[in-house]
Amino acid sequence: MSSRSTRRILDRAFTGLGGFSTLLLAAALLVILVPILIKGFGAFVFRETVEHRRMLLDLYETGDRAAVETEVAAAAKAREPVYAMLGAFKKEVEALPAPERRKLKSDCKDLEKALNSLLGPAPGTTQPILLRQRYGQNRWDRAQVAIGKVLYEEAYDYSDSSQMGKKILVPRVERFRGTSLEPLFDYVRDQSKAMLLPRWIFYGGFLTHTSRDAHFFGGIRAEVLGTFYLTLGAMLFAVPMGVIAAIYLVEYARDNWLNSLIRSCVSTLAGVPSIVFGLFGLAFFINTIHVSGSKSVLAGSLTLGLLILPTLIRASEEALRAVPHTYKQAALSLGASPWKSITTVILPAALPGILTGIVISMGRAAGETAPIIFTAAVSVGQPLTLLKTLTQPTPALSWNIYNLCTEHEAVDEIRHVQYGMVFTLVLLVLLLNLSAIVIRARLSRKLRV
Amino acid sequence: MKVKRWITVCALAAAMAMNAGAEKKGNIVMDGSTTVGPIAKAFAEYYMGKYPGVNISVSESGSGNGAKSIINGTADIGNMSCAMKDSELEAAKSKGVKVMEHIVAMDGIAIVVHPGNPVAALTVEQLRKIYTGEIGNWSQLGGPNKPVVVISRDTNSGTYETFETLVMHSERMTDKTEYVGSNGAIRQRVMTTDGAIGYVGLAFTHGLKVVDIDGVTPTPESVLDKSYPIGRPLYMYTNGEPAEGTVLAEFLGLYKTSDGKKIIEEQGFIPMP
Amino acid sequence: MNADVPGNRPQHGLQLSKRARRLRRLGSLAGQGFLLLITSLSSLAVLFIFIFIAKDAIPFFTLRGFAEFFTSTRWYPSSQPPEFGVLSIFFGSGIVTLGAIIVSVPLGISAAVCLSDVLPFHLRQMVKPVIEMLAAIPSVAYGFFALVVLAPMMQEKGGSVLAVLAWCIGAPAAVLVVLVLSEVLSGGMPVRFRGAGRYGVGAALLGLAGWGLWRASAFLNAIVIPSGTNALNASVILGIMALPTVVSVSEDALQAAGRDLRMASYALGATRAETILRVVIPAAISGITSAVILGIMRAIGETMVVWMASGNAAQIPTPWFDFLQPVRTLTATIAGDMGEADHVTGSARYHVLFAMALCLLAFSFACNLASEMVVRRTKRRAG
Repeated sequence: MSSRSTRRILDRAFTGLGGFSTLLLAAALLVILVPILIKGFGAFVFRETVEHRRMLLDLYETGDRAAVETEVAAAAKAREPVYAMLGAFKKEVEALPAPERRKLKSDCKDLEKALNSLLGPAPGTTQPILLRQRYGQNRWDRAQVAIGKVLYEEAYDYSDSSQMGKKILVPRVERFRGTSLEPLFDYVRDQSKAMLLPRWIFYGGFLTHTSRDAHFFGGIRAEVLGTFYLTLGAMLFAVPMGVIAAIYLVEYARDNWLNSLIRSCVSTLAGVPSIVFGLFGLAFFINTIHVSGSKSVLAGSLTLGLLILPTLIRASEEALRAVPHTYKQAALSLGASPWKSITTVILPAALPGILTGIVISMGRAAGETAPIIFTAAVSVGQPLTLLKTLTQPTPALSWNIYNLCTEHEAVDEIRHVQYGMVFTLVLLVLLLNLSAIVIRARLSRKLRV
Repeated sequence: MKVKRWITVCALAAAMAMNAGAEKKGNIVMDGSTTVGPIAKAFAEYYMGKYPGVNISVSESGSGNGAKSIINGTADIGNMSCAMKDSELEAAKSKGVKVMEHIVAMDGIAIVVHPGNPVAALTVEQLRKIYTGEIGNWSQLGGPNKPVVVISRDTNSGTYETFETLVMHSERMTDKTEYVGSNGAIRQRVMTTDGAIGYVGLAFTHGLKVVDIDGVTPTPESVLDKSYPIGRPLYMYTNGEPAEGTVLAEFLGLYKTSDGKKIIEEQGFIPMP
Repeated sequence: MNADVPGNRPQHGLQLSKRARRLRRLGSLAGQGFLLLITSLSSLAVLFIFIFIAKDAIPFFTLRGFAEFFTSTRWYPSSQPPEFGVLSIFFGSGIVTLGAIIVSVPLGISAAVCLSDVLPFHLRQMVKPVIEMLAAIPSVAYGFFALVVLAPMMQEKGGSVLAVLAWCIGAPAAVLVVLVLSEVLSGGMPVRFRGAGRYGVGAALLGLAGWGLWRASAFLNAIVIPSGTNALNASVILGIMALPTVVSVSEDALQAAGRDLRMASYALGATRAETILRVVIPAAISGITSAVILGIMRAIGETMVVWMASGNAAQIPTPWFDFLQPVRTLTATIAGDMGEADHVTGSARYHVLFAMALCLLAFSFACNLASEMVVRRTKRRAG
């Protein structure tokens, strides 16, 4: 019915459609991954201020004490004029008439607050109780935001009541015109680098330092460790069961109703939504058989193990089925028992496939959030020792990403920590999968030889 | 001379023994309200900084969970932003749990809108109408022509319950209400959404515009003297009074110390007088 | 009896081997039993889950009956008196899944076709593992993106995000459609004018498409999105999340259709498009169907993304297809409301969550059954 050229054009269009969808797919995934990876990288590599070095020395005892102390002294020297101006201003204000004095005093209080958030508490004042108030801005990008807050006040222009108010930045200096505080603002703007001494660093401690004061400082050691324990626990539980079940299904199971029921069960288990696993873990492991008094790594591991069990069974089953029949026949004809032929011939041959399945389900276990909400995860906790995993809950990467970006009281200030966590988790999972691919490629090559 | 030396040695030994006693060890598991969360986390940080051998874990999963975990014995301290309900108390009794209530601080529920929103004051009546959906646009309140995006805490939170009792008077919220899981999430949503309105604990108002209710601004003073209509105490619950001298007792007593009060204040809450 | 008194008679080799064989068989039987035990333990897990969820779900239905749960849209679990209408939540799960399917199925299947039949072999070898890797990215990372990047962007930029998206998808699609249409339309013309006619028709159609797109994008541009966490956000992210699964499984199915089939079709003079559309896809339809079902299951069972990105408002938007409204899904409700769940007091409030979980379970079970049936039916037809 259609001419040749029409068919050719149709064919081309079809090819174009395929290519276009593949490109779109790649673009969508890139759009999601690139910001996460770039911003997450910023948790490790950033411009740290002298406050960060001071914090590291105080809280984690890392860094060269002498060098940091000289830098702190240099920064303090650069900050001296700021505090001198403040002191002079306070004296000057006392001489003013009452209403003006009150107004200037309250303005000055706001300014001091902004300055404290930038530079940390002023010298000579009592040390704040909250850790987050003891240090100025740790990161230069956050410091620039804080400098903006010192220089400008955010206000909204509500003059047009039919519209949303417009954000306007009022220079704070306007409030202090003609006082001795006026030059402070230019000084802060021009000397900010001298006061904070920013420098590029690679902060490897992000992975190894325990967070302090609800993730305001330090790294994500407890979360990484928690994820590690949970994943490991899930594997300890699921791998033996999964592999044994696969061996049974492939080598022993006959075609009867029982085995087909078992098979359906496994495939149903694979389709159970992860949140239902969480509910089950809570209802069964914690409330019914009481594996631990509270949420615990153990309960979480068991739940996660159940979750990845079908994946493992399927991967191992596939791997076992892929072993040529001749292997088994050869082993049997040499007089080996069926069991012996499985353990010495078939299993080793299927190992690459099984290993790939294990590594992939490790990635899945590490990334799952819903099953551990009710069974294992807490928002704040110390890194656990091995023994404590039996009874204690733990922070974990996946849960704390959710927790920090929704429940934390200072979501914006610790954005870099959130990105860093996502980065770590995504990279961890991708690396696990990558290693699965490498294992598969390498071992199968070795077997072929 | 010899006696003196002996005394010194004894004193030293005693001091060392006391030091050893100061090296406290133990675990404390806290679960419950996200409103009490910042206090709990800051207390934990403060206490663990003092005694590195103590591990305190804090979950913020909602007040309902705080009650539940005390009743089930899955936590040492249940944080709640509303008092335990009768049904919960009964359940505790039937399980042999002696519920002890500790009021650690006061908190006002601030009504927050996007800082660009010109509306600066509401009455409780108007607020209720917004949440029932009767008022659906800010222009009805003299604001811009923007649909109101109603944001509420999830129904498992104590803040929700307080809001429901003090503001809604058991009227139903509109089905357009968006529910989010925590104070931080409300803050996050309102900060980024032009027409949004939400309610949060006083500690979470940073970067938002706090609306006066019935002409009163929520401040520590107005919440304490009850002139601000939406205020509530914050609780920590335990199973029985913890024994004197234990880590738990000392930790729980923090809110009465001056350092604890300072922490509560710096977190934006109101310490008990 | 003989074996009991070995000294009396010279032993029969046969008997010994019989005994040994029996022992051996017993041992192997015991071993098999052990294996069966472990295996059934792992499949018992699913029964256990069913039982435990059902055990806590049934009290809800005995307390409150079925009618309210399935027909009411009023979800006020903590009011006095409480109301447990879950219809709007079912609807939320449904619409988000529908959106995810709209995003992932056409894109996924055409990408799978491209992978299996268009791209050269070595490129395919590289792309396939990458796509499988992407399937492993944790959902909380997608949810984080939806909440922290996409939602504020939608609110600030509003409709212009949609407009840009419409151009990205619409423009290439329009070009393809125009190419095909102009060819088809000019096919009826006399041969002499065909070349010129094709260009003329093509230009006209292209103009038309451009105008349409322009109008569409202007319309989209004017849309104000009051809340960035809505059904659209959740759908798009869920769709992207389900993409790798859909692509990978349907690509496997297309590959499994075999080389012979394709060769036969080419030999008959069919073009690649005809081969794929008329021969390969029908042959692989069961695999593609299971890919779609898997995608649906992934979307409906996902918790973190919808919890973070859907807005969690228990409503049926008006009109119902308004994707810019917040909705609430089953999984997010379970995750968010479980905090209350005072199971000690055994309230309907707690059991309703299990009732929802039971529905989710039933649904995923049905999906599984459906995909098994599809596979079985095609097998029978092929066999």
